[in-house]
Amino acid sequence: MRAFWPIYKRELFAFFVTPLAWVLIVVFLLVQGMHFFLLVDHFALELDVSSDETPLSAFFGNTVLFYVVLFVLVPPMTMRLFAEERRSGTIESLMTAPVSSAAVVLAKYAAVLTTYVAMWLPTVLYLVILGRTGALDRHQAASAYLGVLLVGAGYLSLGLCASALTRSQFLAMIWTALVLLILFTLGVGEFVTREGTLMHDVCAHVSVWGHMNDFASGIVDSRWLVFYGTMVLLPLYVATRAVDAWRWG
Amino acid sequence: MITVSHLTKRYGAHLAVDDVSFEVARGDVLGFLGPNGAGKSTTLRILAGFLGPTGGKVTIAGHDVVTSSFEARRSIGYMPESVPLYPEMRVVEYLRFRADLKRVPRTRRRAYVDDAMRKAGVLDVAHRRIGHLSKGYRQRVGLADAIVARPPIVILDEPTAGLDPNQIRDTRALVRELGRDHTVVLSTHILGEVEACATRVLLIHQGKLVAEGPTDRIRSMRGSSAVEIVVRGDPSAAKTVLAGVDGIGDVSIAQTSDETTRLRMEIAKTLGLAARADATERCVAALVAAGFGVREVHADGGSLEDVFASLTRDEAAS
Repeated sequence: MRAFWPIYKRELFAFFVTPLAWVLIVVFLLVQGMHFFLLVDHFALELDVSSDETPLSAFFGNTVLFYVVLFVLVPPMTMRLFAEERRSGTIESLMTAPVSSAAVVLAKYAAVLTTYVAMWLPTVLYLVILGRTGALDRHQAASAYLGVLLVGAGYLSLGLCASALTRSQFLAMIWTALVLLILFTLGVGEFVTREGTLMHDVCAHVSVWGHMNDFASGIVDSRWLVFYGTMVLLPLYVATRAVDAWRWG
Repeated sequence: MITVSHLTKRYGAHLAVDDVSFEVARGDVLGFLGPNGAGKSTTLRILAGFLGPTGGKVTIAGHDVVTSSFEARRSIGYMPESVPLYPEMRVVEYLRFRADLKRVPRTRRRAYVDDAMRKAGVLDVAHRRIGHLSKGYRQRVGLADAIVARPPIVILDEPTAGLDPNQIRDTRALVRELGRDHTVVLSTHILGEVEACATRVLLIHQGKLVAEGPTDRIRSMRGSSAVEIVVRGDPSAAKTVLAGVDGIGDVSIAQTSDETTRLRMEIAKTLGLAARADATERCVAALVAAGFGVREVHADGGSLEDVFASLTRDEAAS
């Protein structure tokens, strides 16, 4: 595991030295800023204040914009992790150094997760603004951010796994986007299937919309912790095995 | 330092390395010689721990590459064939990263990196981005990376591929120098390269080990197979004279100008190495005796294929 830090640092460096990173961050913050502005504007004109919904809960997953941003953001963030090293051949130098597959996978994952957190960090300002002008439930905000972290962690893990399974960055991106969309669509099934059926239960269980609404309203459901824990660990495990498997190809 | 016994590597139905066994002693510079696709890279990749063997056993400095891959990898510095590097990093950043990855302690990292850069001759580009470097410099950064952690064994896959003649000369000099402190294994498909750098040679062809031995032995197998002579005088008369010389096969007129003629003659393949050199002497003697003026004599170097042919013949005879 001693190889973790050098690889982690190099991955962060490699990401932030490319224009792609800054383009993603700028687009992300522009969209989030607009998103927040529209919501605050909407709630300011709302006469019925008895509604459960607040700008906070709406911002974290009650509009489709939240998910669109994730689907656009995650695949390009993870696509190069392994695919690029395999295409350029640097994987050969990397894996002939005394490093373990697990250290390589974890370091790359930690680096991309750090980037994700860094992207969300400026949005805390929005909450500071909200807190200045009205009441802000700190616990609810913390729970919302936990949701953001968990959903992102799961998605990035899936993306990393896709990158380890293909040699082409483009394919890695397409696969990741596809899997995320299928998961999302399955979740939407919650609203179209009849309640009480197995299909409905399955859809409700994987529904990221449902998960985020819970987190955004301050509910930390252990089922979702287990769900996202699995979504992080399983792809990471598969990726580690894939890295091991190249040796025997 | 390196022991390979009955190594086999199979890609699906294709047998890339077929029952290869050899040993490399401390201080050897081993030249791995073979035509493209002979299985050189595959063998080196297995030594370096990038690929796993299908069968057989490989130990690096006493560590099995499969069961103690970690320790084996700590003992080697490996430069892959295409010299893959991260283009966005600066040379010194890259080497510090590699030294860190190869567990050079923090306190010694700067000294090790500086030393490797000096040996490989990349000090003047230390702060340039790798992506902006020429092919020759990139190759040297790869070499610096291979030696940065001061491993006992250095493995270089085609270290001079794609370099210009000056860079090739520099690289060969560097490899010879590396041979003083490290056990070196390098691969090439150029016969002259092993002669210039290696103390021992392994010949591999279609995944099989054809022969091995000290470089001198390989060198002595390099008899010329054809001779070109430029003469002054009547072309067809010269051709007749040469055709009558013992041991000479086909004679052809390659080029004629106003005064001189370039003739090319094949030396009979059945001749031994010493006899081939004698045949060249006889050609010149015969021409001079017949009153022709001999202006130039070029002996075509024996090709890799010739050495293979003579080696396999030797093996069959012994």
